[in-house]
Amino acid sequence: MSAPPISATSWRRRTSLVLALMITLPSIASPLAALAVSLDASPYPLIARGGGGGGRGGGGFSGGGRGGGSFGGGRSGFQNTGGAGGLNRGANRPSGGWSQSVRGNAPSPSLSRPASRPSGGFSGADRTPGSLGAGNRTPGSLGGGNRTPADFGNRTPGDLGNRTPGDFGNRTPGSLGGIDRTPGSLSGIDRTPGNVDRSNLGNRTGLTSGDRALGGDGSFNRNANLNRDNLNGSFNRDGQRVFNGSVGNNWSRNWNVNTVNLSPGWARPGWGYARPWGTGWYGGWATPSWGWWGANAALWGISTLASAAVINAAVDSAVSSNTTYIVVPQTTYQLLYGTVQPSGSQGVTFLVQADGNTYNLTADCNAGTIDGAMPNDAAQAELLNAACQVAYGSAS
Amino acid sequence: MPPPLSRGVLACAAALLGSCLMPAAALSQSQPAPSKAMPSKVLYNLATQCSLAGGPPQACTVEAIDEGGTTIYRHRIGAQTIAVRITDSPVTMAMQSGTSTTWVPLRSAGALFSTNSICFNGRELCVVNPNYLNSVREDRQDLRLQGRDLVKVHFGPDGRVNASCYDAGCEADLR
Repeated sequence: MSAPPISATSWRRRTSLVLALMITLPSIASPLAALAVSLDASPYPLIARGGGGGGRGGGGFSGGGRGGGSFGGGRSGFQNTGGAGGLNRGANRPSGGWSQSVRGNAPSPSLSRPASRPSGGFSGADRTPGSLGAGNRTPGSLGGGNRTPADFGNRTPGDLGNRTPGDFGNRTPGSLGGIDRTPGSLSGIDRTPGNVDRSNLGNRTGLTSGDRALGGDGSFNRNANLNRDNLNGSFNRDGQRVFNGSVGNNWSRNWNVNTVNLSPGWARPGWGYARPWGTGWYGGWATPSWGWWGANAALWGISTLASAAVINAAVDSAVSSNTTYIVVPQTTYQLLYGTVQPSGSQGVTFLVQADGNTYNLTADCNAGTIDGAMPNDAAQAELLNAACQVAYGSAS
Repeated sequence: MPPPLSRGVLACAAALLGSCLMPAAALSQSQPAPSKAMPSKVLYNLATQCSLAGGPPQACTVEAIDEGGTTIYRHRIGAQTIAVRITDSPVTMAMQSGTSTTWVPLRSAGALFSTNSICFNGRELCVVNPNYLNSVREDRQDLRLQGRDLVKVHFGPDGRVNASCYDAGCEADLR
């Protein structure tokens, strides 16, 4: 591509005016075509506009911008800290390697940002338990003290009678909290303050079956310490059940996250199309279907897992806020999404944090297994689904 | 009508350098020539989308070649080939179109991470290249790019970056 045969003066003038326009025009919000005209149309009409910046070596920008000490001549802070706005020649192989194709309905090449993108990016999907501001609660919602038996969904008095000693198998010693949980005891009632206020139970006369007499300070932890059918979850303020992230017996724990790159190149805005491996085939928790799903979902009292849109939005929000993890929807797991890597064509490895520890897990997104076994509970199913969506799900 | 030639054009002498009719400013820029001694290494071939002059997206391929201190990105869009050469230290960019042997310094470049796009000379050539941005992102794990989506740079007459901006800062009027 040849440069136009113009004089040095005109060249500089053109350069300065192009830059001036780049700065002054509403380039971000402008339609692509408009910007193309602004920046790429014939320079001569621009030159004809006259003297704005004309004659100043390097353009009007260099003359005016240097006043603030931020621009110009390689002496700016930008230059001294790497220059080029952080751009470079892009030759270093990033984590995950090089992609061979941009898959799916990739976005069009464009520098046009969403017009209504709020400061700090889009949010609202990465809701952690209890993170919803009071503004989201409306009178009559699940605000403190307003819960009625209907708020607790499928639970019936009969549900409380189904516990067997085997139901307690998932609890690790650390979760016992020093309470005698032998069958026949109070079995999993966590009397620490600050859980569910007993006032919430005021209307639940049906729950006062004889084997669950409440005592102590009356607090009541339904947060999955009891793996009771249909009851192994607490509820956040928008009424969603939240499952504690249980820990598998063979999970590899205490992974040193300091030795892991939590922010690979693809874990950034646009991550869905930036993943340098084959993606898009994982269609959510029901596609491909997992053989264990039906019976176990019923057992756990769930009918669905988080959608791709919810998980993608959680990652988008985390990326925007420079957070290295997402809270797996409806659980207390923290998935370090930047550690998600493909393993083979349908496997995934990732780090997850639970109970203050970090675990290195593998999952098979096609078979629906986590560390080689079907999930133990709904929380693990959510974790499996989230990791698979980040690894192989469609981009938003 | 293009402006007339002037003293800034070093026609015959420049021809010896393969830069006949280039403006003096462009000639004076200090981009290092690709090293002949360094063996070229193809980093990747990417099937992706490009657009020319703000036009509609169209299928294209990008061949990235590491020439040691310089990376060449050869974009093939239909029958057209446009190469972009990027150097480090300092960062410079130049473009070569078709069968031309002339590298023309770029006026500007921009990247929007959320669309995996990078554009050269405004919208003269835009391409979806997540590989490039992944590499940049991973190479720049300091605060410079943290939380940034849009990055634009402008090159001065010497071919070096003389202005850069981020996100809404690219809308600022700094005159």
